[in-house]
Amino acid sequence: MTRSRDEIELDLPFHVNGTVDPATRADIDAWLAEDALLNAEQTALAEIRAAMQAEDIRSPSDFGLARLMRDIDRAAPALPATGTVAAAPRRAWIWQAVAAVAVAGFVAQAFWPRPADTPAPGGYQMASATMPGALVVSFAADAPESAIRDLLLSQGLEIVAGPSAMGFYRLDRVDGGDLNAAADALRAAEPVVESVENAQH
Amino acid sequence: MSENHHFLVQQVGKGDKQALAALYRAYERPVYKFIVSRLNDPHEAADILHEVFMDIWRVAATFEGRSQVRTWIFGIAYRKVIDVHRKRSRVTVTDEVPEPVDVAEAADAGYAAKQEAEHLAFCMGTLSDDHRSAVSLAFYEDMTCAEIAEIAGVPEGTIKSRLHHAKKLLLHCLSGRLKGRAVA
Repeated sequence: MTRSRDEIELDLPFHVNGTVDPATRADIDAWLAEDALLNAEQTALAEIRAAMQAEDIRSPSDFGLARLMRDIDRAAPALPATGTVAAAPRRAWIWQAVAAVAVAGFVAQAFWPRPADTPAPGGYQMASATMPGALVVSFAADAPESAIRDLLLSQGLEIVAGPSAMGFYRLDRVDGGDLNAAADALRAAEPVVESVENAQH
Repeated sequence: MSENHHFLVQQVGKGDKQALAALYRAYERPVYKFIVSRLNDPHEAADILHEVFMDIWRVAATFEGRSQVRTWIFGIAYRKVIDVHRKRSRVTVTDEVPEPVDVAEAADAGYAAKQEAEHLAFCMGTLSDDHRSAVSLAFYEDMTCAEIAEIAGVPEGTIKSRLHHAKKLLLHCLSGRLKGRAVA
């Protein structure tokens, strides 16, 4: 035994999880053979580890993967190989600014008042004209999914389309209730919701 | 395995979504378990897990391969949860080490804890985040002391000390709860 009892005690957790080197393991085993208290402590730790490893958890799994794949399409692209961690926020900020300008342009174009019966040039129709949903909503980029879910459930709303390329969702009342009240509630939920507009049909 | 994951991170850095999906499948469950063990909130943990992989997507190109992929990913998760605690300005913690406990008795308590997972979860919840992280990485993930130290950004001696204190607190808590249950 080349090390003190205190040193051995500090290494016990790693003896229990099997990550100590052979020499340390031999040292600890020698102490365990002679020290009943140390042995009891080792047994207790082993049981705690076994209980922790036996815990069954339900992780987000495929649902989380689908969310991830959806959101990376909306996020800034991966940094080029020459980038640095420190540069990331600046890059993200630039992309956010570009996205904000694009969103502002989209909103102005989509919701600028215009005569309802004016046919589009060439007889084309806006794609959004045939889309379902009574409200067009965008959520804050950092809004947690749980907050969005709770908000929609509390207002009897469901997502019927989206997100669009610009990150807009189209919502409807599940029960056909008061849409204006639901829209007002969304507008009041500022940290979660960025914008709320009535859909143009 | 490790080299394969290193390759996946490189591919993610080039914008390969399938490589990100493969990394997610490999690490989603253990990282989520680690986060849940520190937050005790499955919904918030799912959001943090999501943020971890969004960060991986954003900064994979900066990964230089000086650490293992596993410690790199757990390091991101480790810091994310610290941010959550800072935002909450959370004051938990039972950093005070209690009176010495009868180790033989605590060993029985530890044994009983196998059947009493809720007691273990409760007692883990009484630990500070530093202590809980160390226990979680050592016993859920079977990491070496050096790996845990790298993730937490502290010397190995600090990790050993944290585990030593966490162990005493856990055994004391388990012993007390199981004793109380036996009396009741």
